Amino acid sequence: MSMEDYDFLFKIVLIGNAGVGKTCLVRRFTQGLFPPGQGATIGVDFMIKTVEINGEKVKLQIWDTAGQERFRSITQSYYRSANALILTYDITCEESFRCLPEWLREIEQYASNKVITVLVGNKIDLAERREVSQQRAEEFSEAQDMYYLETSAKESDNVEKLFLDLACRLISEARQNTLVNNVSSPLPGEGKSISYLTCCNFN
Amino acid sequence: MADGLPTEFDVVIIGTGLPESILAAACSRSGQRVLHIDSRSYYGGNWASFTFSGLLSWLKEYQQNSDIGDKSTATWQDLIHETEEAITLHRKDETIQHTEVFCYVRQDMDDNIEEIDDLQKNPSLVTSGTLSKLLDSACLSEEMHSLYGTSHGISAKEIPKNDGEILLEVTGIEESQVKEKYYGDKTCIHTFADGDKDENKPIVEDNTDLPKRNRITYSQLVKEGRKFNIDLVSKLLYSQGLLIDLLIKSNVSRYAEFKNVTRILTFREGKVEQVPCSRADVFNNKELTMVEKRMLMKFLTFCLDYEQHPDEYQDFTQCSFSEYLKTKKLTPNLQHFVLHSIAMTESSCTTIDGLKATKNFLQCLGRFGNTPFLFPLYGQGEIPQCFCRMCAVFGGIYCLRHKVQCLVVDKESGRCKAIIDHFGQRINAKYFIVEDSYLSEETCSNVQYKQISRAVLITDQSVLKTDSDQHISILIVPPAEPGMCAVRVTELCSSTMTCMKDTHLVHLTCSSSKTAREDLESVVKKLFTPYAETEIDREELTKPRLLWALYFNMRDSSGISRSSYSGLPSNVYVCSGPDCALGNEHAVKQAETLFQEIFPGEEFCPPPPNPEDIVFDGDDKQPEAPGTNNIIMAKLESSE
Repeated sequence: MSMEDYDFLFKIVLIGNAGVGKTCLVRRFTQGLFPPGQGATIGVDFMIKTVEINGEKVKLQIWDTAGQERFRSITQSYYRSANALILTYDITCEESFRCLPEWLREIEQYASNKVITVLVGNKIDLAERREVSQQRAEEFSEAQDMYYLETSAKESDNVEKLFLDLACRLISEARQNTLVNNVSSPLPGEGKSISYLTCCNFN
Repeated sequence: MADGLPTEFDVVIIGTGLPESILAAACSRSGQRVLHIDSRSYYGGNWASFTFSGLLSWLKEYQQNSDIGDKSTATWQDLIHETEEAITLHRKDETIQHTEVFCYVRQDMDDNIEEIDDLQKNPSLVTSGTLSKLLDSACLSEEMHSLYGTSHGISAKEIPKNDGEILLEVTGIEESQVKEKYYGDKTCIHTFADGDKDENKPIVEDNTDLPKRNRITYSQLVKEGRKFNIDLVSKLLYSQGLLIDLLIKSNVSRYAEFKNVTRILTFREGKVEQVPCSRADVFNNKELTMVEKRMLMKFLTFCLDYEQHPDEYQDFTQCSFSEYLKTKKLTPNLQHFVLHSIAMTESSCTTIDGLKATKNFLQCLGRFGNTPFLFPLYGQGEIPQCFCRMCAVFGGIYCLRHKVQCLVVDKESGRCKAIIDHFGQRINAKYFIVEDSYLSEETCSNVQYKQISRAVLITDQSVLKTDSDQHISILIVPPAEPGMCAVRVTELCSSTMTCMKDTHLVHLTCSSSKTAREDLESVVKKLFTPYAETEIDREELTKPRLLWALYFNMRDSSGISRSSYSGLPSNVYVCSGPDCALGNEHAVKQAETLFQEIFPGEEFCPPPPNPEDIVFDGDDKQPEAPGTNNIIMAKLESSE
């Protein structure tokens, strides 16, 4: 593993109802793929993509729900050290939009206060089946003080933009010292992962 | 919850405590199709941790527990075929008893309301959310209803009394069957006013004689409630312990973060002192004389490889460790340190066990820091969840709030073949793992349970003040009289993410001889002073003040032999709830033993492929991905 081969490391966490296209967004961005059907992502905990922004290497660690959202059973620990959250709904599915307040409650409960949240309406390639108007979503995101973007993982619309914009925001937040860019302590006051605590010999 | 649960699995696991969660990860990791369910709305069972309001809801839930069992049992009988029989599950949860809450800070409901969290500002959430309501302490009683959807007539009623005492009584409980039990056991919320006659006086006014101490009110505790992560069990991780080894080996450690326990404390002659345990500590210690320092170092050095010097202890193998220590040229002070704070054993423990425990302690020193222990950020309750995440990553299916009515046993083979859930849905599997508390009274009729006494305290200062208020400390208070149990005290600071700023969260644990309050109150009184008394008794000012306290007893189902459960098919395995010990060794051992029993020869929680291997660089966007992807999938297949 190359050590410290980046200037920034951020943990981005996806949430939202099952089937809204979270995994597809991640795979489109990290692998340039749109997996046909629900490709099993078994064994893949998070995906990594290193991007360069204004000459700085930014490593994005993107975490998916591992299916635990299906029966509303996401572990709290999933949210704990996230720097950013991507809250996703499906523009062709009213229900996935109506669940957003519930998701926001989970965020409020378990995520850090300083987390950046982006609202994403996915599947704009299916515009003819749209159930949630852009205006409604904009009003909602404004009221919640969230950034908002519509994407298509299938057509690759706005996917790059989503993650790159987010990375830019995370960098400027980090610069303002609200985030500490240090691998061993993702947020101020937090502890260390075991591997970083290592001071003696093991393995 | 539009889509239904699949109905075919290899392993169904009921309960999300630590042993069940480790097993879930292990089974899923070795390619089994795992369904992991819990009847509760949260992960961890009795291993869970809660925010402050979450804990209050948990208490309420135990008080109105009675109605859970009998609701929907009508349907499953029709679903059992002639060739089958049913073993019912889910009697009411009886693992928690004698809950008692004491509130020492005053309960002004209206100060600083404007400080409420950001979400309150958002109108759409206020209407849809219970959370913002939670933050308003005035709505406490309603919150319980909205969270659990029951309107069982339990409401907290404020009864102001003349003597300045407010009693928050649980009224309306008569309707429920738990009445005698919990009412008799004083499951009521005791509240003490501040000794301050004028309840509505702004808090800033009377802090002149207590310049250093922040005043904290109940509504602050409630408002900052999400800063708390209050563990039901109080444990630490031995840095050379089985759980740390498993976390590292399985890579589950990547889901959690840890802090070192910074101090080992001891309580002797009414005083809290820091125990020197590393070489540096011993030499920097100001309390010990030079001679004592040498004695202690010599003894500890011997303990590190005591097996090599059998002549040093052979004559004492029949004695207790405390007897043995008396022969080792240690001053009483040092004997006390070694016995209670380093070996952390009961006085009656044997010489060999004492030496073993001392050696273990010393070996754990210095791996991650200068005490042998780690504490997980956000509390011990994170750990089971981390294993659940690993299980899910490998395809395990998770469903909280899912109740199981019965196990279905095939009469001919005597094996369990399915469960029937609360929807009457039949779910088939080959193996079933059930946490003890889900088993019926009938199954457990021959089981003798032990009990754990627990107290959770919110205090305003550390029991041993130093320059920093960010210490994590463990303190063993020896039994006041022989035959009683030592009490383990863990004090957590706010940087562990388990309590709000300017408070400490203190956990007390011992194995029960009576109710938790009877077992622990004397130690609480020795170490702390109630918030209300401080202005009267100035001498007490040196002690930290108690803001809020909870006592409860938890059932200890560890160490119960499988044969004590009656009528369980051979492919139904039982996991126990938390034990009383400081470490997590029991849970890890149990999970590994059961796993080997079910899948002999399979590797237990091998490391997963490293996601760092799937690195895609930003610039090159040619479809190099499928190739890399194939490598990962191939890797996975070969590891299964």
